[in-house]
Amino acid sequence: MRRVAISSWATSKFAKDSRMPLLELACEPCAEILKNSVPRKEIDAVLFSSCATDQYSSTIISEMLGMHPKVSHRIDNLCNSGTNAVASAFAMIASGLCDSALVLGAEKADSPGNKLLWDITRGSFIFPVHWAAIFAKAHMRKYGTTEEQMAKVSVKNHKNAAKNPQALFKKEVTLSEVMNSKKIAEPIKLLDCSASCDGASAVLLVSEEKAKNLDNPVWINGIGQQTNSASFANATNDLTTIEAAKRAARYAFEMSQTKPSKIDVAELHDAFTILEILAYEDLGFAEKGGGGKFVDQQEIAINPRGGIIGCGHPVGTTGVAQVTEVASQLAGKAGKRQVKGCKTGLVQNLAAAGSSATVIIMGA
Amino acid sequence: MREFIEHLKTGKFRVPKCMSCGRNAWPPSHCCPYCLSKTSLKKIETTGILLEFTSSHCKGKEGIFGLVEMSGIKLVGSFHTTHLKEGMKVRMKECGIGPDGTAFYFFTPTMA
Ligand SMILES: [Zn+2]
Repeated sequence: MRRVAISSWATSKFAKDSRMPLLELACEPCAEILKNSVPRKEIDAVLFSSCATDQYSSTIISEMLGMHPKVSHRIDNLCNSGTNAVASAFAMIASGLCDSALVLGAEKADSPGNKLLWDITRGSFIFPVHWAAIFAKAHMRKYGTTEEQMAKVSVKNHKNAAKNPQALFKKEVTLSEVMNSKKIAEPIKLLDCSASCDGASAVLLVSEEKAKNLDNPVWINGIGQQTNSASFANATNDLTTIEAAKRAARYAFEMSQTKPSKIDVAELHDAFTILEILAYEDLGFAEKGGGGKFVDQQEIAINPRGGIIGCGHPVGTTGVAQVTEVASQLAGKAGKRQVKGCKTGLVQNLAAAGSSATVIIMGA
Repeated sequence: MREFIEHLKTGKFRVPKCMSCGRNAWPPSHCCPYCLSKTSLKKIETTGILLEFTSSHCKGKEGIFGLVEMSGIKLVGSFHTTHLKEGMKVRMKECGIGPDGTAFYFFTPTMA
């Protein structure tokens, strides 16, 4: 298997309404990458991550960008789409099918990926906040996790987002603002939740051979994916764990021959604050039940771009944007939010009640 | 699965049961996820255990809800009461498709 590097990346400014149609939005970060990287004719694949159902969209975008890749198609797997697209591009390059692949994610705030009407096991409670509230309640009951610990995740991620010019929210919030924000589904409050928005992000993956010409490439050292179910009912047996994330993490750590204690920087799926706490445990950063207390740790930089809570959640874009952040950090190009001395980074992403998950481990 | 929805519309909760291995296919499916044989709708025991519950304040979705396990399947049920406890026995009282097109499964605590 060939090694795969990330050679360039870009993320657009996330906005409540960009006033751009989907495909125009998608081209924005791609144009930025293509102007400053390898000639377009050298790119073998264009993989478009989006929950929007526009026909033939990946191929339309390829044409708009003046590209004639061997491979071009859309990947939809709800919130996990972007990370799945990166995994697919990785596999195409590692296998020798392609030498370079452009992965782009784009989503509008009104994406069909925001509502999950197909999951009949959820009864009337079809919003993502409903299953998240059940996870939160279970974790509080079993391990004594508090609403304040969850609120601290929001405070931290908003604080990080304030340093990120691409983030949707650039305003810090206080603990009491989070605690006193509107109740949505107990114990989850408004400021424990992410918001849908318009946003696009892109990364260019290249083979080891092509990476030789790069100054300081970022390597993808391991990927783990796990699909447990599509429904909430069958996603997990233990309501205090995202089992798919735990499994995906194990695969990624095995493949990269590394371990949780080696991770310096991580982008974790925090569509709701409780999910970041569960991720601490599922990835092995914190011991089982210790996620609530782990919020205060300073060892690993978690969600330096502001996470999903701070940046906004353009569903199909999120996974790609998470990868661009960890790449920026490992390459020392994260500007004001640069984490000092980071060598190993991790991305963890989920879809639909944690029914599927992806973990990507990257190295400088 | 169309037949499941058709029954639900008339207030009947019928779950596809595998004609070969006898297990329930959930979420409802024509195909048994265990042995891949065909399924057919059957009445099942709708008394189960409340695993976890909480309340929603979302506009149009206000109410008490919780995850219930019964006859080897799990689903999110609605409740009219707050006098609930995790681990308690509950039974399905009413089900159907609401005006907004989503399914509902109302449960009530069984008299212990
Ligand atoms: Zn069967």
